[in-house]
Amino acid sequence: MRAAREIAVAATPDKLWALLWDVPRMVECMPGCAEAKEVAPQQRYTARMIQKVGPIRLSVPLDVEITSSEPPRRLALQAKGRDPAIGAEISMQVTLEISSREGTSVLAVVAEGRILGTLGSLGHGVIERKAGDMLDEFGVRLRKAAEG
Amino acid sequence: MPHSLLLDVLREQLGLKGAKRSCDIQVCGACTVLVDGAPVSACTYLAVEAEGRAIRTVEGLADGETLHAVQAAFVEHGAIQCGFCTSGMLLSAAALLEENPSPTREQILHYLRGNLCRCTGYQKIIDAIASCATRERARA
Amino acid sequence: MLRPFTLDRPSTLGEAADLLTADPHESVLYAGGTELLLLMKEGLIRPRRLIDVKAVRDLDAITAENGTLTIGATVRHRGVERSALVQERCPLVSGVARHVANVRVRNVGTVGGNLAFADPHSDLATLFLALDGTIHLWSRRGAREVPLADFIRGPYETAREEDEVLTSIRLQPWPAKTTSAYLKFGVYERPTLGVTVACGPSTLRVTVGCVGPRPQRLFELEGRGAGEPIPALFARAEELGAAAAREVEVVGDRHGSAEYKRALTGACVKRALQVAAARGQGQQIQPRYAHTVIV
Repeated sequence: MRAAREIAVAATPDKLWALLWDVPRMVECMPGCAEAKEVAPQQRYTARMIQKVGPIRLSVPLDVEITSSEPPRRLALQAKGRDPAIGAEISMQVTLEISSREGTSVLAVVAEGRILGTLGSLGHGVIERKAGDMLDEFGVRLRKAAEG
Repeated sequence: MPHSLLLDVLREQLGLKGAKRSCDIQVCGACTVLVDGAPVSACTYLAVEAEGRAIRTVEGLADGETLHAVQAAFVEHGAIQCGFCTSGMLLSAAALLEENPSPTREQILHYLRGNLCRCTGYQKIIDAIASCATRERARA
Repeated sequence: MLRPFTLDRPSTLGEAADLLTADPHESVLYAGGTELLLLMKEGLIRPRRLIDVKAVRDLDAITAENGTLTIGATVRHRGVERSALVQERCPLVSGVARHVANVRVRNVGTVGGNLAFADPHSDLATLFLALDGTIHLWSRRGAREVPLADFIRGPYETAREEDEVLTSIRLQPWPAKTTSAYLKFGVYERPTLGVTVACGPSTLRVTVGCVGPRPQRLFELEGRGAGEPIPALFARAEELGAAAAREVEVVGDRHGSAEYKRALTGACVKRALQVAAARGQGQQIQPRYAHTVIV
């Protein structure tokens, strides 16, 4: 599955880059995510993601690894986790790229990956839709965090 | 126990193995049983719902040694191959004929639409049920 | 085997609501269970408490007043099929209920359960949308009504709050002289597409379901055809079908790609229009198309 968004943020690219590395704040921006912990600075983090897909409740402990970092503009990470209660396994690659456009910044987010397990069989793009909704809300919260 | 499924209670606790577990998602009809005369998928039906109701499994179709009309018709028409769908087919057919003693072929096809068979190609099953319709009319 | 749970049987809405709010994350409402039990068997939900609403007074009533038709949440699909009142006030609803899933699901599954689950691949919501369906919800905070179009938010997602019980749906049958048709297409156990067409002297209603995230009314298409005399609608069916294909919102899934669903919509809207318009001219055409049921 794949979800992508371009988020315009009224802040300088450098300020936005700094915010991306403020992991606790970033985790707060992602809806349903909490309990961010640093395992190895700038390398590994853990978090928990709780989401509802229809009547199904998902609670996934995530292992986040920064796979590449090209300061001050591009960041890629991998997030993996498994919800043992419903047997859903998530493996996502996320890239975040900052560009400037007429004095403001634009953050391009692309999330690609797989959801394995019976949840994946719900079909009908439910997962994509959920991911898209999450990225929309992420954009709203990120703007508030960067501009506020 | 409220969380028991009717199919498990019938097969495991009551030893009535006629109803089969096949798709387990109520689409194939192999687990069909009648609850107060109405076909239900026992695989997706809580056993507690059966309380106070008449449950009919394929074991209850024959009257002692006398086959039910649909059973006799299935045998006569060669409507059984592996037999796995047969319990469900017979019960659905019996329920249909109880409700509508002279169904048209279209009505039979519609009612049996949720009972799947991988062996026979359905023709003989429909022929068998249709022949019962005629018989019931003749008897009345 | 399912994980153990307690089964409560409240006899009033108040009791049901209280049970629901006592433990919202662990309780679910239960009626027919034809969707709920499937999810539980898959292990996707593991409630500790099932609240059986079948004994709640009046949830299983079908009533008509002031030209509207109200179907209670715990009415089974077979109940809708056989209701003399439904057959009299809106025979298409009775006809479509006859084709939901299979006879076993029709004996056990309920209208309320179907709408509350909001599986995109289902028939009733598509039809009820064309009948201006309004959902009634009840909680201790009060009762409220939500138009069906707003109630269904997306696949498996509704506007029902955690403490609310869906009690009924109210339908607005079309005016006299409206003829209609419902067409469903599918090779799987759930439909791949459902189309409702209702046409009358000054009305054209077209809804399409199963191919997008929610059932949808094709307002642009309706605008193109509104006010057209019935024979003209028949003659323009192909063109209007093509317009439907352009307007419809589609999502690819295992039933087919987005392109496929768009093409399917065009063909099926055309066919449904032809049937509805023919009926409007007093003709009963019975076209047979593969894997298609026309009500």
